[in-house]
Amino acid sequence: MAAWTCRHLLYRGARVLAGRTGAVAAADSCLFQSVRTVKTTTWWEEHLTEDNKSYMRKSLGEEYNRQIAAKLHPLKDEPWPRQEWTKGLVAVKLGMAPVWTKTGERHVVTMLQVQDCHVLNYLSKEEYDGHTAALMVGGKNASPFYKTDEEMEMFRLAGVPPKQKVTTFKVSDNAIIKPGTPLYAAHFRPGQYVDVTAKTIGKGFQGVMKRYGFKGQPASHGQTKTHRRPGASGPGGDPAKVFKGKKMPGMMGNVFDTAHGLKVWRVNTRYNVIYVHGSVPGHKNCLLKVRDTNLPTYVEKNINPPFPTFFCEEDEQLPEDLYDEDLFIHTQPSLTL
Amino acid sequence: MAASTRKLDKVMFSIKLLRNIQQQNERFLSTSMRRLAEGSDGGKPTKFTPPPKPVIIDKTQSEASLRKFLSPEFIPPRQRINPLKFAIERKDMIQRRKVLNIPEFYVGSVLAVTMADPHASGKTNRFMGICIQRGGHGLGATFVLRNIIDGQGVEICYEMYSPRLQQLEVLKLEKRLDNNLMYLRDALPEYSTVNLDMKPVPHSVTGDVPVNKTRVRMRPKPWSKRWERPKYNVQGIRFDLCLSPEKLEHAQKWAEPWREYDMLKEYDTTALEERFLKEVQTEMSKSTSP
Repeated sequence: MAAWTCRHLLYRGARVLAGRTGAVAAADSCLFQSVRTVKTTTWWEEHLTEDNKSYMRKSLGEEYNRQIAAKLHPLKDEPWPRQEWTKGLVAVKLGMAPVWTKTGERHVVTMLQVQDCHVLNYLSKEEYDGHTAALMVGGKNASPFYKTDEEMEMFRLAGVPPKQKVTTFKVSDNAIIKPGTPLYAAHFRPGQYVDVTAKTIGKGFQGVMKRYGFKGQPASHGQTKTHRRPGASGPGGDPAKVFKGKKMPGMMGNVFDTAHGLKVWRVNTRYNVIYVHGSVPGHKNCLLKVRDTNLPTYVEKNINPPFPTFFCEEDEQLPEDLYDEDLFIHTQPSLTL
Repeated sequence: MAASTRKLDKVMFSIKLLRNIQQQNERFLSTSMRRLAEGSDGGKPTKFTPPPKPVIIDKTQSEASLRKFLSPEFIPPRQRINPLKFAIERKDMIQRRKVLNIPEFYVGSVLAVTMADPHASGKTNRFMGICIQRGGHGLGATFVLRNIIDGQGVEICYEMYSPRLQQLEVLKLEKRLDNNLMYLRDALPEYSTVNLDMKPVPHSVTGDVPVNKTRVRMRPKPWSKRWERPKYNVQGIRFDLCLSPEKLEHAQKWAEPWREYDMLKEYDTTALEERFLKEVQTEMSKSTSP
């Protein structure tokens, strides 16, 4: 890890400049100079030989595979809260596909794959913010070589490979889950509603028409060099200022955005894929935070789900695909409306 | 004297009995040997063999094509999408194909599609036309059929994997000089009309697909698109009848001869095609045996 520091030559610079009597004014203005000094610049493989590098990669990979395998069958004597745990997962956006209902209507769904999602930490009410308890969840394994020691400590305590995305979910007080538990797509069932949060695609510095949908000005009829400009910026002489938060050109995208109230149409338990209605922020293969809805119309439905939430130690084997009751499955014969 | 004769009689009787038994045994043995001998010869079958099954030729179902044809929607576009997504979609597509027979067809073939329609009498409607375009990838694959009905050109875009499609028949299987026949919109109407009472034209299941080399005569300009420009690469229009050589030369100004050397646009799909074709064929053959 590189740590760049600057030694501010405050005292030394002042002394040097004070010696030159002709530049007194200059000494007053520049009191210090900055010289950049490098403390540590090294990457993990800098001082390793080829053999060491390959050994590190291989051994860490094997260790993490063993850790994941060990977590697959957690002990049964831990307290398992069943009904009141607000579910949350980290998923990867695969792409979109069409689905059809039994009445012939066509909808579009986004496929989200849950890759290596583990619970990392449980923070009780007092530890987190005094109001609600929190659960830290991580998804999609990443390389440990580019993580700081502070980040790695949490993964080490949970006994889990380092994760690319770590999120916190606010949960109810009794939802104590042992860190290291794997989470699967089957925690969500068809018919439930979710909120999906992700970083939107970055569009860079954009003008006001693309960013906020302003109408701009006409293309012709005498407009002089004004076709996509914001136009007026406020009332006028009375406030005699531009209010804070005025919509102006700037960086667009690359911020977290949430899509609310998305219905889960189908869950594939074999590949851990959730089919979620409509579109979702983020580019393909981006990491998302999938959570039970906050919307009041669907919150009651989610409390009493049609099926109990899924924990992998249960003996019953789930079928490979779970479908919503309105969904047309392709093994059925063609529709006759 | 009587005792000795009686004894003799007994002895004679016993001898005769023994001889009878022997003869009977011999007869028994001989018949069984004969039967065995006959069985081993195989001349006259003694076991019951059922009569041969009658061969049923089902003329309502068109025969499955024996050509190596992979429908173009199976080939994924060149994007940074996880191949797992295509694999899952392919499973769904194969499941749908086991229920609905989606035959082999190309742009330029004449198809008839029966679709479920709640507002039509008999709850189904049937439309036939020339396929002018095949688009989309995966489950969202579409094809556009064009026909002229009562002087009005009608184009309908069908989704191949929609559950409302009930039957897809290929009335005439053929290819054309182009992959996209959108220029039929600007061509004379006779090239887009398909007779509604058309009977299916028999086509061979093996061998090459016939290529229809008709070059179409166009209506006067303006057209919906400038078909003479090289980016559309249209082979099937009689440009010599509608445009002067100067205009054709002027259209060549929009030629981009460097595009054929553009390495970033290269996309070799032969390996993918083979793999997917094998997968589709194995999955489809699994379905016939429940």
